Amino acid sequence: MPAAKTIWKKLIWTWKPESEFEAGDSIVKNLLLHWFPSKVTFESLSFRYSLWLGTGSAVLFAILTLTGIVLMFLYVPSVERAYASVKDIEYAVAFGWFLRGLHRIGAHLMVFVVFVHMIRVFLTGGYKNGVAAGQNRPLNWIIGVVLLLSTLLLSFTGYLLPWDQLAYWAITVGTNIALAAPMVGEQTRFLLLGGNTIAQGALIRFYVLHCFVLPTVVLMLFAWHMWRIRKDGGLACVDQVALQQKREKTQPVKSKTYSLLGIAGTRTVHVETALVDEDRYATNSSPYLTRRLLVAILATAVLAALFAIGIEAPLEEPANPAVTSNPAKAPWYFLWLQELVADTTLRFGGFTLNGALVGGIIVPGILAGLLLMWPYLDRSPVSATGVWFGPERLRQNLVFLFIILLIVILTIVGTFMRGPYWVLYWPWETWVQLPRLF
Amino acid sequence: MKTTNPPSPEPGHLPHASQVQGPSRRTFLDRLGLGALLAAIGGQATMMLRALVPDVLYEPPRRFKIGAPDQFPQGATFLESERLFIFREQQTFHAISAVCTHLGCTVKMIQLNPPQQVEIRGETVQEKQEFHCPCHGSKYYGEGTPYAGPAPERLAWYHMELAADDGQIVVNLTEPVNQDFRLTV
Repeated sequence: MPAAKTIWKKLIWTWKPESEFEAGDSIVKNLLLHWFPSKVTFESLSFRYSLWLGTGSAVLFAILTLTGIVLMFLYVPSVERAYASVKDIEYAVAFGWFLRGLHRIGAHLMVFVVFVHMIRVFLTGGYKNGVAAGQNRPLNWIIGVVLLLSTLLLSFTGYLLPWDQLAYWAITVGTNIALAAPMVGEQTRFLLLGGNTIAQGALIRFYVLHCFVLPTVVLMLFAWHMWRIRKDGGLACVDQVALQQKREKTQPVKSKTYSLLGIAGTRTVHVETALVDEDRYATNSSPYLTRRLLVAILATAVLAALFAIGIEAPLEEPANPAVTSNPAKAPWYFLWLQELVADTTLRFGGFTLNGALVGGIIVPGILAGLLLMWPYLDRSPVSATGVWFGPERLRQNLVFLFIILLIVILTIVGTFMRGPYWVLYWPWETWVQLPRLF
Repeated sequence: MKTTNPPSPEPGHLPHASQVQGPSRRTFLDRLGLGALLAAIGGQATMMLRALVPDVLYEPPRRFKIGAPDQFPQGATFLESERLFIFREQQTFHAISAVCTHLGCTVKMIQLNPPQQVEIRGETVQEKQEFHCPCHGSKYYGEGTPYAGPAPERLAWYHMELAADDGQIVVNLTEPVNQDFRLTV
């Protein structure tokens, strides 16, 4: 079997290098790996710094793409047949329930993981430029924010497709929020729905957005996001290592001064090695990064699959424009917004400001604007780059965590404490059973 | 953009054409090509986007017949597909929209038994029903004025008339009316 062994070895040697020389070569010679650096710092590899959340969301996106392609073969984007085809996927297609469950739970997990990834980057000052030249981490933060918004849009367009009650009323509320936007509201809604009513035009538009437009946007932004990380010299924690090295470096001893060509007497020549790559701080990407990557992929896939088996994907009654389900709730990650639009109708004397405008457009708009601008408002020193809870950023972190806490509280209130007619209930109280009048 | 320098004019000769008229032929052709490319891309992009704005809508009519006056019982009737409440008191009719003014959910009618006295804009009115929205908890009095929750405006009232041909009631959703509108048959 020597020939077979050779072929096998030819295929996998980059994943299992047998020498320092092979390890250095392995990354650049492999199409799948060549976008990684050949050396990686221990801090970047560690779980405690990055929590590997970016990798997790990328893996979830891959799972969603693959399950989504299979679902596209089975789903029919027409108002007459959409609901029935989803029911078919659930009950008649082999493993259809698992694929739909995995796609659905993968989407929920992705929203969660991307959101927590943003919190991680903020709390570690990961959007800050460090010491290396040519960095533009604020730009990568902006790309990340757009990726987060795209993820939310992907979920929003996705949960409309089953064309059940949840879908119908979500599209009603969502597009009416667009309607509340001043000046362009009416045209935006008309363009989104392909008309004035929620019908076939709206379904096919959301379908194309969900299956093609938004995934393409996410894929391109993801590539840009990764490329920027390389251009920025890796994760922000690498700059901490560089700073550390600068502090440790002993001053060159001026025993004998070799000046440049003997002209400038004060400029001594000493060679700095690329210290970041020193064995103390960094190691070969293959196999240390590649192995952890495989572990992260495995862990994410297993976790998502377990959730998919354990949590049944719900399918409500077919869409019915006449009856709004009571209470009509958006998925958990939009409930803080639903809580906001329900609480923010403002009245000044005879003048009324619709909650749809305040809670649906102004407040989220301010939050998104703040997120995009924050790296440029942050004036903390370089030493706060790439370190959890940097003391120089204490106040910023507290403000950020306070906003996150508000969102979490609103989400919890919306999820567990709102009953029929959006009345407040404690989680342990049972809802009043209402007679169905119409 | 690279331009070739014309030979410097010999004394006694006229200067080369490009030295007087600005851009050389090469620059001009460069600009022409680039402009054509941009125009082509812009034009096709416009056509593609314009195609997504529908010119013909296959939507239910905004003015429709709902049936003969006699078919409606006294009190309220809910027309599901039109999302409309039709009220009949003896021989007078009026129509109130079931579309919540906050974010467009369908409100539910709550029958009040016994009828309640409420004060709306300084007037005491007896009402037999109210409207509650399940989405965000807006509440409206029986004639559509909001009194709780995020709804910014009253429920819409629509114009009604009798069809000339068969005497059915016609509702016109494009013509909102005041709350004192009544159709007497």
